[in-house]
Amino acid sequence: MLEVRNGAGETLGVLFDRYHAPLYNFYAKLTGDRTLSDDLVQEVFLRILKYRQSYQPGTPFRAWIYQIARNARVDHYRKTPRHITFEPEMAPPVMPKDTAQQTEETELLHRALMQMPDDKKEILVLSRFQELKYEEIARLLGCELGTVKTRIHRAIQELRQNFKQLERGLAPREAGPTVVKNNPPRRAGNEM
Amino acid sequence: MKCEEIGELLPDYLQGSLKAEQDNLVEQHIEQCADCREEVVIWKKLSLLPMEKPSKESRERFEAMLQAYQTGRNDKASGRIEREKRGSLWSWLRSPVGAVAWSAALLVIGVLAGSYLGNRPVRSNTSQDEIVAIRTELTNMKQMVVLSMLQQQSASERLQAVSYSRREDQLDPQVMSALVHTLRYDGSVDVRLAALDALSRHGAQPQVHKGVVDALQEQQSPLVQVALIDLMLEWRDPDAAQRLRNFVQTPNLNPTVKQRADWALSKLN
Repeated sequence: MLEVRNGAGETLGVLFDRYHAPLYNFYAKLTGDRTLSDDLVQEVFLRILKYRQSYQPGTPFRAWIYQIARNARVDHYRKTPRHITFEPEMAPPVMPKDTAQQTEETELLHRALMQMPDDKKEILVLSRFQELKYEEIARLLGCELGTVKTRIHRAIQELRQNFKQLERGLAPREAGPTVVKNNPPRRAGNEM
Repeated sequence: MKCEEIGELLPDYLQGSLKAEQDNLVEQHIEQCADCREEVVIWKKLSLLPMEKPSKESRERFEAMLQAYQTGRNDKASGRIEREKRGSLWSWLRSPVGAVAWSAALLVIGVLAGSYLGNRPVRSNTSQDEIVAIRTELTNMKQMVVLSMLQQQSASERLQAVSYSRREDQLDPQVMSALVHTLRYDGSVDVRLAALDALSRHGAQPQVHKGVVDALQEQQSPLVQVALIDLMLEWRDPDAAQRLRNFVQTPNLNPTVKQRADWALSKLN
């Protein structure tokens, strides 16, 4: 990172290799929008290039990059306010090896996550999928370690409730894999 | 244990960072309590959600962005140099530094013309003294210009300042120390090298001598290091050998620099 900070553009390629997939996953889980996630990942690397002088050597780089990532998302929504939707824009890919039940569970879980408010969803994604330590999350969000744990617990509770409600709502239909068809992608190119 | 208390332990339990004793407590509780158990289950179930993979174009877009950014920067830099070349005299006259120099020049012309016209019949000693005083003032003014230009943001302006300073045979101590400071801390290698070159003619000044010799340990750029070694050899500094011996011990020293230092040492001995 020091090399990027001192102006070696090539080194950014190494950072890209290391971080672009996790960052993409972070955005995709959070926004449920693949096209947007791709755009935001590009934005993060442009910002790293532009603001590399603001990186303090000796501080954890991962925290810095996630800070940029969070800001990029907030700025994006400030510029283009999103439409409030209750349906996920992105259906999870169907995995042929899964049993029908598992596919359905995955789908419900995805929808349950998408229904959550941004802050709770974010803390879940950071801890569960990005595998950030609670200390790192606390530093990132600028709060106490205890607060992070409490918030994670509340987020899990809400996810569980959402999931249960969806399960109940869907149970009589026994929709199975056809669920995917019920959620057509919003725009072309948004489907994986 | 109550669910609330378990809830406090749960995040650490899920990350596997609880001590065995507390871990057991949670396990016992979730065996009996369906609500808390479901929380653990849903957390584990999250692993069903697949890792989202970026599109293949992502890398290409990144490369294109990087390229565009670098081209943009180079264009900007070369555009600036072009502009500076074209309008250098004009823009210099318009800049605050230029304005100071310009007004000084006008002042001197005015005073010289005045004293020449006024004292035409008899050229007294007083007017001679005045001219000397004015010359001194002009020199001071020039040095002020150099000093303020060394503070400029743009490396090319600082470079210009260093080359102005070379026009004077005698340097004000303040300018010398500014040049030494530039040699040590300027962000641009070119400016540091130019400062070293300008200082090399003033090695007889103890202040300059010490500043230059001290700079060796701090320099990171191999180019400046080699130039410094050469200058120390040229000056035949009394403790150059000792300093160079210390210097070659520096860890991670650039091989070329080390070679140069060894060569200088062999010359000194």
